[in-house]
Amino acid sequence: MTNKTPAEFTLIIFPEPTTLTVRISGELDYDTSEDFVHVVVRHLAEHPRPHDVHLDFHELTWIDSTGLSALLMIHRHTRAADATLHLDNRPPVLDRILLVTNVLDHLTTPHHTRAHPSGRPANDDITGTGSF
Amino acid sequence: MPAPADGLSAPAERLRSPDADRRVGETWTEAPHPVLVVDRHGGLLRINEAARHLLPAAVSGDWLHERVPAWLADAHQRISDGLRRTSAGPLTGIINDRLFEAHPTEAGDGDVVWWLADETERREAETALGNAQRRSEILSEVSSALLSTLNVPRCMEVAASMAAEHLAEAAVLVAPPQGRRYALTYARQGGPTTQVTRRVDISGVPGLSEALQGFPPVPARWINPDDIPDWVIPHDFAAPVGSVIVAPLPGHGVPAGALILLRSSTERAFTEGEEIFARLFAARAGAALSAARLYSEQAAITATLMRELLPPKLGSVHGVEYGGGYRAAKEQERVGGDFYDVHPGADTTEETLVVLGDVAGKGLEAAVLTGKIRNTLHALLPLAGDHQHLLDLLNSALLTSHHTRFVTLVLASVRRHAGRVRIRLTSAGHPAPLVVRADGSVTEVPARGSLVGVLPRVKATTVEVVLAPGESCLLYTDGITEARGGPLGDELFGERRLRRALADCAGMPAEAVVERVQMLVGQWLGPARHDDMATVAITAPRSAPAVVAGGHPRGRTRPRSRGQDSRRTP
Repeated sequence: MTNKTPAEFTLIIFPEPTTLTVRISGELDYDTSEDFVHVVVRHLAEHPRPHDVHLDFHELTWIDSTGLSALLMIHRHTRAADATLHLDNRPPVLDRILLVTNVLDHLTTPHHTRAHPSGRPANDDITGTGSF
Repeated sequence: MPAPADGLSAPAERLRSPDADRRVGETWTEAPHPVLVVDRHGGLLRINEAARHLLPAAVSGDWLHERVPAWLADAHQRISDGLRRTSAGPLTGIINDRLFEAHPTEAGDGDVVWWLADETERREAETALGNAQRRSEILSEVSSALLSTLNVPRCMEVAASMAAEHLAEAAVLVAPPQGRRYALTYARQGGPTTQVTRRVDISGVPGLSEALQGFPPVPARWINPDDIPDWVIPHDFAAPVGSVIVAPLPGHGVPAGALILLRSSTERAFTEGEEIFARLFAARAGAALSAARLYSEQAAITATLMRELLPPKLGSVHGVEYGGGYRAAKEQERVGGDFYDVHPGADTTEETLVVLGDVAGKGLEAAVLTGKIRNTLHALLPLAGDHQHLLDLLNSALLTSHHTRFVTLVLASVRRHAGRVRIRLTSAGHPAPLVVRADGSVTEVPARGSLVGVLPRVKATTVEVVLAPGESCLLYTDGITEARGGPLGDELFGERRLRRALADCAGMPAEAVVERVQMLVGQWLGPARHDDMATVAITAPRSAPAVVAGGHPRGRTRPRSRGQDSRRTP
């Protein structure tokens, strides 16, 4: 899907009426995270509003702090688009960084049950949820 | 060419003779080049139409030496005297301000036909071509000499000395003012180059203030050399100034200065061609100078930032040892996303705050955020007693809609009490610190919490650890455990190896603990690139030190301490 990332990093997008699924394989790190955010955000904007965004990490081989930062940014966008983020098939390397940094609940709690955090997405293509 | 002579001659005849026509051919009178037929005595027998144009006063019967310059008359004399052969080739000389090549041919009976070819234009073209070639050589020499240095004073020195060598007798390079002073570089042909910075009145030099603003140069002929103030003239420039050029040095957007070229009154004035060349020279010099200046400014800015961002040197504070080590991800950079600081307590009864953290990302961008975090924490030091509160304040200071770059960190409040070291540890999304006991056992401190800077609130727990003499607590960033390498080249160093390395460090001083960990990770690292790596060891010394001194240069703000808001540890 992306053409600027190294060969070992690929994103496959499955847009469905109420669900956007993104299959991530390879290393999500300093070099690949920016593209990852752009691609997912673009599909969020183009796609008819999905209720759920599934990130499938089955083939993820590595994630670093910049990769986690990218997940946090995608979460901001899914929340603004009123969708719930799901981190599926998490390999140990992802579980470990989510555990140490303690953000799994933040990333995956369904949006309507949660108070609106203070950050707003920078992308104007995404309209806010209207909460607050 | 004329027909060969037929031998019928009238040696001393000065009058128009039909024989002459016969001897030299019929068409020469219409030749486009001046042609003179001269007898062996130097008498002018015939001249053609073109020669009459060149020598209007000459008529047949005149003496050659009365009508042409000596170089031609003498040459004719030598041929007549048998000292020079006509086959010896042409001669060159000036007749009536034009350059001629004179080709002699024998016409029999000692008569010589002089064929004159006007070479003025060809010679001028050759000279112009030669000059152009020489100038382009000079320009390329100038460029390569100037671009080989990014040092501004050196660049000015080279530009001035090359200008003096190739363009003038002396050159003065005036740099844009710094305040009200100007850096002046003087160069004299064959002499040394000197640089001074002084206050000068640039309005005294016609066109200089315009040149320093980047306006086109004033033509040299408009500048009266008598108007040039003394400061422009180099000390050892003896003769009075005869002609002057003031050329702007165009930079990238902003002028890089101006070049003043001086020639003494005993030399010829600058020609228009030289003025144009001076402008070309100035363009090259200006480009090189402004590149050097931009580079110097950036290097200075980087150095200033680096000083703020570099990790501090650690030592012993209030009876507790601290050791710190840092290795940036990019080998050529000295700063990155990892950081640590030790903020000493006001006295031995106060806690010393140790912070070790890791900003998402790498390089200068991460280092800048690191600087912001370190400064914020420094300002929040009076609240360091409550780690949760400190983290909440830092979190709200960092929250922004523009990005989700976060920081993970460990806070350690350290105090020595009764020979033991008590540490309150809080982790905010950071790998848990490790403790090595005196017996070599290694345990993980169960401090957990969420990362800082993205979530609305930070959840963190604080855990207390007590170190007996010889025991250490190691704070580290994930660059250590995630260092890739080993026998297969792509294996992580991992927590297990770190624990094993630490087990050997029981009883070691803090600095040795850090060095050992860094050395083992350094050996593990393969050719693959690594993340930033930072480690801090907090160690309870085996023997109580008599003096508590050293440590971190930053003071810790204590609003309630008597009469003194902040203090510096020596």
